[in-house]
Amino acid sequence: MSAQKDCEFLVKRARDLVSEDPCAAKAWLITARTLYPADFTIQYEMYIIERNSERTASAGRLLYDMFINFPDQPIIWREISIITAALRSDCQDKHAQFLRALFETLPGHVQCEMLLKATEQCFNTLEKAEMLLLLLKRFPESVVQHGVSLGETLLEAEATENVETPVNCFRKLFVCDVLPLVLKNMDMRLPTSLIQKYLLKAAEFYIGYVTRGPSADVQIHGKAASRSQEGGSLKSPSVSRGSQRYVIDGLSEKSSVVPEPWERLLDILALAGARCEWQGDKGQRSYIDMLQRVKELFRYLPGLEGDTRSRCCSQIVICAALVLFRSAFLYVSAVQPALFQGVNGLNSGPWVLVEDLSSVYNDVEVERGAVKHAHKKRKLADGREKTMSSDDEEGLGKGRGRHILVNKTEMPTWSEIHEGFRTAKESWALLHSHDGLETEFKKICASWKTDSWLWFRIFLTDMIIYQGQYRKALSSLHQMASMQHPQPGQQSPSGQASLEQYRALIQQASCHYALGEYRMACDKLLDVVGGLVPPNQIPTKSSEDQGRFKPKARKGNELKLLPCTSKHVLPFCLQLMLACFKLRAFTDSRDDLSLGHVVVLLQYDWPQGEMLFLKAIEKICQQGSFQYENFFNYVTNIDMLEEFAYLRTPEGGRIQLELLPNQGMLIKNPSPALGVELNTLLLQGVQTMDRHHTVTRGITKGVKEDFRLAMERQVSRCGENLLSVLHRFCINEKVIIIQSLP
Amino acid sequence: MGDIRQSLLPRDVLSAAKELLYHLDIYICNLLQSGRQPPQVDTKTLELVEEFILHAPKDRNTSARRMSALQELQLLEIMCSCFQEQSRDAVRQLMFNALFGLQGNQADESRMALLGKLVSMAIAVGRVPILECAATWLQRSHRVFCVRLAQVLVDDYCSMVPGSVSTLQNIHSASPRFCCQFITAVTTLYDLSSEELTPPTELLQMIVFWIQEDLRLILIAFLNTPLTGSQPISSLDVTPLGGLVRWCVKAPLAYRRDKKRTLPSGTGETGPDVGPLFSALHLSVLQVFMLLPNILNEKGLFGRLALLQMDSLATLASELSRLLDQADKQTHVSAADTQALSQLALDRLAQALQVAMANGALLCSREDLRAICSRLPHNNLLQLVLSGPVMYYNNIHTPPLAFSPHAAHSPIASHPAHTPLATHPSAHPQYASQPFMTGMAFPFRPSH
Repeated sequence: MSAQKDCEFLVKRARDLVSEDPCAAKAWLITARTLYPADFTIQYEMYIIERNSERTASAGRLLYDMFINFPDQPIIWREISIITAALRSDCQDKHAQFLRALFETLPGHVQCEMLLKATEQCFNTLEKAEMLLLLLKRFPESVVQHGVSLGETLLEAEATENVETPVNCFRKLFVCDVLPLVLKNMDMRLPTSLIQKYLLKAAEFYIGYVTRGPSADVQIHGKAASRSQEGGSLKSPSVSRGSQRYVIDGLSEKSSVVPEPWERLLDILALAGARCEWQGDKGQRSYIDMLQRVKELFRYLPGLEGDTRSRCCSQIVICAALVLFRSAFLYVSAVQPALFQGVNGLNSGPWVLVEDLSSVYNDVEVERGAVKHAHKKRKLADGREKTMSSDDEEGLGKGRGRHILVNKTEMPTWSEIHEGFRTAKESWALLHSHDGLETEFKKICASWKTDSWLWFRIFLTDMIIYQGQYRKALSSLHQMASMQHPQPGQQSPSGQASLEQYRALIQQASCHYALGEYRMACDKLLDVVGGLVPPNQIPTKSSEDQGRFKPKARKGNELKLLPCTSKHVLPFCLQLMLACFKLRAFTDSRDDLSLGHVVVLLQYDWPQGEMLFLKAIEKICQQGSFQYENFFNYVTNIDMLEEFAYLRTPEGGRIQLELLPNQGMLIKNPSPALGVELNTLLLQGVQTMDRHHTVTRGITKGVKEDFRLAMERQVSRCGENLLSVLHRFCINEKVIIIQSLP
Repeated sequence: MGDIRQSLLPRDVLSAAKELLYHLDIYICNLLQSGRQPPQVDTKTLELVEEFILHAPKDRNTSARRMSALQELQLLEIMCSCFQEQSRDAVRQLMFNALFGLQGNQADESRMALLGKLVSMAIAVGRVPILECAATWLQRSHRVFCVRLAQVLVDDYCSMVPGSVSTLQNIHSASPRFCCQFITAVTTLYDLSSEELTPPTELLQMIVFWIQEDLRLILIAFLNTPLTGSQPISSLDVTPLGGLVRWCVKAPLAYRRDKKRTLPSGTGETGPDVGPLFSALHLSVLQVFMLLPNILNEKGLFGRLALLQMDSLATLASELSRLLDQADKQTHVSAADTQALSQLALDRLAQALQVAMANGALLCSREDLRAICSRLPHNNLLQLVLSGPVMYYNNIHTPPLAFSPHAAHSPIASHPAHTPLATHPSAHPQYASQPFMTGMAFPFRPSH
């Protein structure tokens, strides 16, 4: 007997009818509504019918009515939160699209009011922010009131939620969505310090985003993950997160994508720069232009004072830092693409910057002369080039104009990459050319924790190597090693993963070599070789590699960017070892072991080393004898074998060759003690040839026979894979090799 | 004029008719140019039309000249292009009226025959100007003749050639005014009182389709007509609303009766179930009622013009009462079925009354409704409607009944609060108007 009973009766009839005759159900509700216009349940039922059959216009009209007439109904608020959730999500299913279309049918002021009220009802920071953002995007006039406070809320949330990386949902929202709105709104007056703070936040985000690692564990599993259940609808449920996909925790896969981050950073920079009244034209055209502009600005810096000066400083530091990080990224993403997710590293493995050793086969005399006179030359060069250079004053002075050799067929984009490297160096130099700038720059680095950026450490190391500061480079490499935790997912599909970890070792070896620390160099190097698998085929050298840079070879002054593959690394190791032993082998004093190693190593890339080999033969001839027990284990080159066979002949000078392992033991002598003694004698008797000769006279015949047999056997080994032989040499003789170096 | 007749007489029937149409065109143009108010075609000319176009016998002595079927077809084609080419609306209207305006004489039979053929042809070949003239004709002519024209068209398009209904269906966008008048005419024609007076399913489907496409179609004639109060007596209703309400309310029982009859007759085929069609149609009618407050307010007619007439509703109630009595007596259909259909009919009546009253289409008090529904059997909703809503404390300011985004800033203020209970004492002096007292105990309240 009450209005409520009547309404219940009417709604129940409609509900009973809706599945079998929806028209009749609606007719009941229309009637009911005219009877009880103020009853919520009737209108809600009408709305549900229209919503369930996804009729946008009529559902929108009913929702509007309810929003106006029943603003306090919790059911309405639940409904509105479902709709606003659909607005925030990028879900493409039919129902979400319907809900978005439904919202669009509402008059603007109702949308605005709904979003504001829905925002008030949100307790989750991210949801609340997303909701407010919907409002700001639709109604630009609300930016003045809510823009900065929303930004601050997001930055606060980031701090309180203890997220581990600047690439998090709060920052993404702040940088990509809120900040452009705020900066573009000219109705707001923002203090310069705030704009700069925001700009640096944006830069940190974009750099972090671009340089994010490929592994899935970049996602933050921090407290931000504890979002409300409704937030779950933000992520499309169908998305399976494969290792190649990148999702910022709290965001959907689609909204985790930031297209063209560097360009967008440039946009933000232009907006912020204009608002900070920076010098230069308003639209920043490119990073390169920007560097040129701040370099010009730098020249005026000494004449400036006060606010102008500090503004100018900020502009130079921020712009140069951004150019530095972008250019360094360009370089590192080419050199070690597997570090980054966004970079396609499938085609190209890591590369490593090392000393160029293509001149290793050159005459030792020439080289020795070069080293001797290097100091003198350097002085001359310094005198001449001082005014031009800023970045290569310290170190060995090889910095300026050093060449980096690259096989351009394997790295076709080298000129751009080199440009990136060069620009990064230039920016670095600018940032360190003035105390004020350096302090500012270090502040940025400290707040971004750039010390922990492996990729940037890689750039810095290469830059230091380029500058010839090898000692410094070594400590940088040690630092790098401590950062290189084994990271899952870093394995590139080409199976070169294991080589990546050797990258630093190779560079260390190269640095030690450049410092003349040959034992250390070989120590590191042989660790590398131990992990290599010898390639099946000897790489055919491209004509470019051989010919192009050779004519103007400037001995030891050049660097080479080497692909980190067994195919390329093993040859490099062999050349570096050769370089280490070469000088030792050809000293005036006798060192058969080193000379033997040199002979073994000269086999690679034969006949490149023919000239050196002949020099070695010449030395052996001068000595009249040569002892190298590993000869038959590792020398399979037919030309060399022939030459050695010839040496023993009368025509060849009857050189006494002791090339068999434990030759003393091979002598048919029943007494092992004597054998040992003989062996000792053999080893000692290098200088006293006459005595040795007499002692062994009686058994020479047998030795001769063994040598002949060994030679014959060796000739049959000529077809063996040379790289396997040399690889074995490195592995088996590691201890001897290292010990035989100072 | 006399000399015109002399010049027409020697001609053959077709060329004489053609010549006269040409003459008529010029004559009406001159008439309008002269600025005489109201422009009136003189009797002489009307007589010429009757003689040379309609071929009505002039007197007993002369036998009427007759046209062959082919000649008649040619004449219709000429008329079609004549209306199509005349760009001035006023000329077309006067000409159409000169040709087909009923004169209350013998020629009216020929006139109706020719009109039926012309409109049918205009539908077939999509001659919008003729349809527009026909719509006006349907508004002005006596309902008996309107119904006859509707009958011809239904025969042509729904009965004679199966499948041709789509041609008729397609004109709703070309001439909505004609469609609206056509609906009014067919709802008047088919009152569901017998099998013959039950609309063919194809027609029903078409009308439902039309209305669902655009609800305002039902109101088009009403919206486009300046209400001068000079609506000719005994013309069709201004809107088809009354007729449609009758259809929807009576349909459950009328069709049940039909089913009973057609099944034993052996045709075996029963058409598609019309139930959902009437359900949709009924909803559309209610939705049209919902549109009314805004429209009536704009026209300043809210509470002053009743689109549903009390007397026709009284008739409907008594017809329904009779149908229900019959249904009770016929026991060959299961009692439960009968009960359900009876309740459906009563539900629809109650809904139509309530929604119409709340939206100003029906101007009466609940007391009036109780009077006309007194003989109807028990139905919960009808009782609720007759007793009215229980008034509760916050029902004084009722929210707006219609959606208006433009007035949305202060929706409550934009619509003067009108309770559905508002009485209009002056509207129906024949019914004792007694204001309904809120909260008054009432014996009819449903027992739910």
